[in-house]
Amino acid sequence: MNIQFKKGALELCVLVLLDKKDYYGYELVRKVSDQIEISEGTIYPLLRRLSKEMYVTTYLQESSEGPSRKYYKLTDEGRTNLKEMLEEWKEFTQAVNYLIDDQEGDDHE
Amino acid sequence: MTMNKKQFLDQLNSLLKGISLEERKEILKDYEDHFTFGIGAGESEETIATSLGTPRQISKEILTMYHLDKAEDSSTLGNVMRAVWAAFGLGFFNLVVVLGPILAIAFVALAVWVVGIGFIVSPLLVLISSLFYTGTFEWFEFLVSVALSGVGILMTIGMYFATQALAKGFVRYLKFNVKLVKGVTKNEKY
Repeated sequence: MNIQFKKGALELCVLVLLDKKDYYGYELVRKVSDQIEISEGTIYPLLRRLSKEMYVTTYLQESSEGPSRKYYKLTDEGRTNLKEMLEEWKEFTQAVNYLIDDQEGDDHE
Repeated sequence: MTMNKKQFLDQLNSLLKGISLEERKEILKDYEDHFTFGIGAGESEETIATSLGTPRQISKEILTMYHLDKAEDSSTLGNVMRAVWAAFGLGFFNLVVVLGPILAIAFVALAVWVVGIGFIVSPLLVLISSLFYTGTFEWFEFLVSVALSGVGILMTIGMYFATQALAKGFVRYLKFNVKLVKGVTKNEKY
C-alpha cells in the first residue's frame, strides 16, 4: 500500500483504538502492526505529537514484571477530533468506493 | 543491517543531538521500554530493531516536528531555516513546487528592507557627498533626504512586522505539509 496513505490512516487507527481502552506503547504498537504493516518506530513520534496536541494524556502504571508502563488515554478533545476524522474518512472512502464501482460498471459494458 | 538494542538506541541518541537532553531522554525511554517489553514477550533484540525501522527515519520525523514547533514559537531566521532543512529531509516535493513563489516573496521583502534602510541613511549620504565635493551642499537635497529618512523608518517598522507574519505563515504552511504526510488533514475537504 502507498506509504503516505498508510501514515495518514495510522493516526486514525491509534485514535480509534484508544477510544475503546487505554493502551501502553508496546501493546498499542503490537495491536496496530498485527493488522497493518508499518515501521513500528513511527508510532511513538505520532503519540508524542498527539499528546502535544492534547488529544491524549499519559499516566504510568506499575506492573509486576518489567518497567512501569506508560499508558495513553484519549482526552475529550481527542474524542471530538476522532469523530471529525471518522466522518471525513467515511466520506472519503465512500467516494473512492463509488468511483471504483462505477469504473467496474463501465468496464463490463 | 540488523542492530541490537544498544546499537539502535545509541544511533538514535546521536541522531537526536539537536534536541534538549530532557526531551531526548523521554524519547529514548519510549524505545528502550519497547525493547524491554518485546524481549519479555520472547522477541530477539534484532527482530525488534528491524520492526521499529531505521533510527535515521525515526529521527527525521522527530526532528522535523521538533524544529517546526520551535520555529512556530519563535520565528527567528535560524529556527525557520532549521525547520525548512528538516522538512526537506522528509522529502516534501510540493515544497519544491512552491519554492519559486516563496523565493520571489523573500526577495521582494529583502528589496523593501534594503530600500527602507537606504532611505534612513540617505541624509548621511548627502552629508558625506557634501564633504567630498565641498560647496555642493544643497539644503533642498538635504531636506528631501530627511523626509526620505522618515519614510524609510516607517517602511522598516512595517517590514519588521510583515517579515514576522511571513515567517509565521511559512512555518504554518510547513506544518500543514507534515500533517498531510503524517496524518489525515483535519480541515481539508477533498
